[in-house]
Amino acid sequence: MRITPNAAHRGDPAVALATKMRSRASFTPYLFILPYLVFFVLFRLGPSLAGLGISFTNWQAVRPPQYIAFANFSAMGRDPLFSAAFSNTVFFVVITVPALIILSLALALFLNQSRRGRTLGRVAVFMPFVIMSTVVGVLWTWILDKDFGLMNAYLNVFGIQDVPWLVSEGTAMYGVILTTVWWTVGYNMVLFLAGLQDIPTELYEAARIDGARSWGVFRFVTLPMLAPTTFLVLMLTVINSFQVFDQTYVMTGGGPGTSTLTLVQYIYTTSFQFQKFGYGSAIALILFGLLVLVAFFQIRAHRRGIEGVE
Amino acid sequence: MNKTLSRVVWYVVLAVILVVALGPVVWMVATSLKPETEIVTTEIRWLPQNATFEHFGAIFQAHPMTQWLFNSLFTATAATVLVLVLDSLAGYAFARLRFRGRGIIFLIVLSMLFVPIQITIIPLFILFSRMGLTDTYWALILPVGANVTGVFLMRQFFLSIPAELEEAARVDGASTFRILISIVLPLARPALTAVAIITFLSTWNSFLWPLIVTRSDSVRTLPVGIAQFLSLRPGLVQGQMSIGQSMAGAVVAALPPIVVFVILQRYFIEGISRTGLKG
Repeated sequence: MRITPNAAHRGDPAVALATKMRSRASFTPYLFILPYLVFFVLFRLGPSLAGLGISFTNWQAVRPPQYIAFANFSAMGRDPLFSAAFSNTVFFVVITVPALIILSLALALFLNQSRRGRTLGRVAVFMPFVIMSTVVGVLWTWILDKDFGLMNAYLNVFGIQDVPWLVSEGTAMYGVILTTVWWTVGYNMVLFLAGLQDIPTELYEAARIDGARSWGVFRFVTLPMLAPTTFLVLMLTVINSFQVFDQTYVMTGGGPGTSTLTLVQYIYTTSFQFQKFGYGSAIALILFGLLVLVAFFQIRAHRRGIEGVE
Repeated sequence: MNKTLSRVVWYVVLAVILVVALGPVVWMVATSLKPETEIVTTEIRWLPQNATFEHFGAIFQAHPMTQWLFNSLFTATAATVLVLVLDSLAGYAFARLRFRGRGIIFLIVLSMLFVPIQITIIPLFILFSRMGLTDTYWALILPVGANVTGVFLMRQFFLSIPAELEEAARVDGASTFRILISIVLPLARPALTAVAIITFLSTWNSFLWPLIVTRSDSVRTLPVGIAQFLSLRPGLVQGQMSIGQSMAGAVVAALPPIVVFVILQRYFIEGISRTGLKG
């Protein structure tokens, strides 16, 4: 709530004086905003626009850039590495996002009960998230080691044969997904916990008095009230999942074959190992387009959901 | 009867959660303390029989771990300070000050939230090469100053505090800057903490940009050092690493943030739930 002098103290001479002083010192706001804007334009807005421009050139290493219209984009259609990176990334997103959402919501619901040990549980689940991605990658490469890894050792205990995990094309991505879920599920859980705590307890009581069982309470109170949080978590998870890179760089390097090559890794190798700045930027633009598209549909679905409730 | 049952269920599920969440970290510490002969085995043994610190000695000798650690700490701290200063000023301007173009500038800033940084890294790399600043601390710190989340959070927080105090101070003749420093910022401690934690954590964890822009160990940050020299993935720079040494390096890199997190966990969790955004 902002109280403006005009609305609250109309005619108050002191406020009028202050307003006058403010308008005289009207360059002050620019002193406040300018330092940030310099950084923003130089390191964020400028590079974004430049990236857009570069995607329509054939800029490569020291050769000067030439405008080639949409040639980079049509080249993608013939590039098997691009289509591998594209479909691997989509596959990663399609598996990881639902897993992360459902698991984190379940954990949040469970650890939202007022029982002994819940803080310990929350801290433990969130803890992996503070470990840097590359350390997580190194650690899970070892845990998922085919011959001596902890995972297979326990699977053997339950009579399951060794899973090749990171060394087989068919299973490598699942290894990366498992690692990612372990690493980031706590982050989503914390967001869901915050959302759960915002639901007024009266609603639960009212539902109970009306005779709702726990499933009914969840379905008709918790879930609808949690919708804004779910929307936010879903959005963030999708955005972050599309940008998967660190884990695969450390754990598999995109292999075996191209089975875990992701879009960001392909941008990285194209641009910084083969110095094809134009082509790399064009792929980055595709990634951006994907994010915008998904965000658009999510916002639309969210809107429709809200209208449906009302 | 029903109560006892639900209690049992609670503790069993809680135990499973704790084991899955913490098990890998405990395993990392355990492996780092085992001699290599105990590591390469199919037996599951959580406690080392002959605990040894040899791997820690070896990685500190073979790799400039202390330098990487320092580089990470220094750049993350500097970036956090930079962001706190820039974002307090800009957030306050967006929330309280009137100037031409405020709405449209804020909209442009906010729109960048949806642009993935991968689209900026190529121009950013070229920019820093032209300035001759690749492989310097500058390249690691300066781009963080352009972050959007911090500005947004600070603005939202400033909007949520009542303006009467500021108006009163203004009537008393205090300058806008003075008001920000002595009245607004002390009230904004929760927001500042959240922005600081998020900025520090995301800079500390940042990987792609430091990987691209650093070449020498005097600048290289810990995540990049770990990825390039301690990765167990065959074919990477050093080829097949000793598992014990990799885990020792992982422990060195993982323990400081874990300790800080366990001590400050309330602020971490508050900060994250307040913002819902990664750096």
